[in-house]
Amino acid sequence: MSTQPESVEPRIVIVTGGSRGLGAGIVESYLASGDRVAACARSVTPEVERWRAEHPDHFFFATADLSRSEDAKAFVDAVIERWDHVDVLINNAGVARDGILGLASDDDIDVVVDLNIKGTLYMSRLVSRRMLARRSGSIVNISSIVGRSGYRGLGVYSATKAALDGLTRSMARELGSRGITVNGIAPGYLRTEMSHGLDEGQMGQIERRTPAGRLGEPVDVARVCQFLTDPAGSYLTGQVIVVDGGLTS
Amino acid sequence: MSTAPADVQKTVTDFLTSIEKLPEGFGTDTPLYADGAELDSLETAELSATLEDVHGSDPYSIGEMPQTLGEILAFYAGA
Repeated sequence: MSTQPESVEPRIVIVTGGSRGLGAGIVESYLASGDRVAACARSVTPEVERWRAEHPDHFFFATADLSRSEDAKAFVDAVIERWDHVDVLINNAGVARDGILGLASDDDIDVVVDLNIKGTLYMSRLVSRRMLARRSGSIVNISSIVGRSGYRGLGVYSATKAALDGLTRSMARELGSRGITVNGIAPGYLRTEMSHGLDEGQMGQIERRTPAGRLGEPVDVARVCQFLTDPAGSYLTGQVIVVDGGLTS
Repeated sequence: MSTAPADVQKTVTDFLTSIEKLPEGFGTDTPLYADGAELDSLETAELSATLEDVHGSDPYSIGEMPQTLGEILAFYAGA
């Protein structure tokens, strides 16, 4: 993982859903590169407690339910109050409920749509405004390969992730002239809690079909986040990078 | 910064100057959009964000669409 020279001012990075799984891997990456990281999630985890102790000046955490716009605003306001601005937004927070669409309840649909789409829209609206005022910044939306390929039992989740890819392209067009890049990452199957809905047989099948011969790790995605938010990468925007070990190639 | 009329006016004129859209004779009744400063939608979003950044709130974020500097000043006067 690349690290910034000490003379470079730390970036202010927001990672939503940054308390566990992929989000935690992304938080770790930006802390390792010397940046200041603000994370939010619905609950505190042992990782959050550890980062608070190890990085008191570089890590900030707030509990928030981003499907509620007031929670999103309170979180962003707290980050601005603490660190003045935001350089990088990683829209990672997401939830999945598996099951055949024909059997899904209204609640199953609302929970997934409200966090995955509306939460991302709330955060992107709030943070892009701040970036507009400074005419710089990078946004990365974490979607999923299932938003492209589909997956039996993940219809609602797949729909929300496909929506994020559309948001990525639209925001890139809106904000490109102002020095703000917007890109997406579509991870494949990772060893995180989000893949716990898959049984061992399914996981083994995915591993066998993946050219890289393994499931992804959060660090695989975090590396691409770092690449997409490198200030030198101002000509790369509007793209969704698939990080799946070649599974869908 | 305060929301005193002179401060808000300075924020708006500084912003219009920075994007090279400050009309000659700009005043409280000059339209911000067509036949005036000619702000487009993205520039309007930038003005909204700048006002919030500097003054802590802005009329656009609560759904208002002020047409002139005078209407922006009226928002802060009534806040």
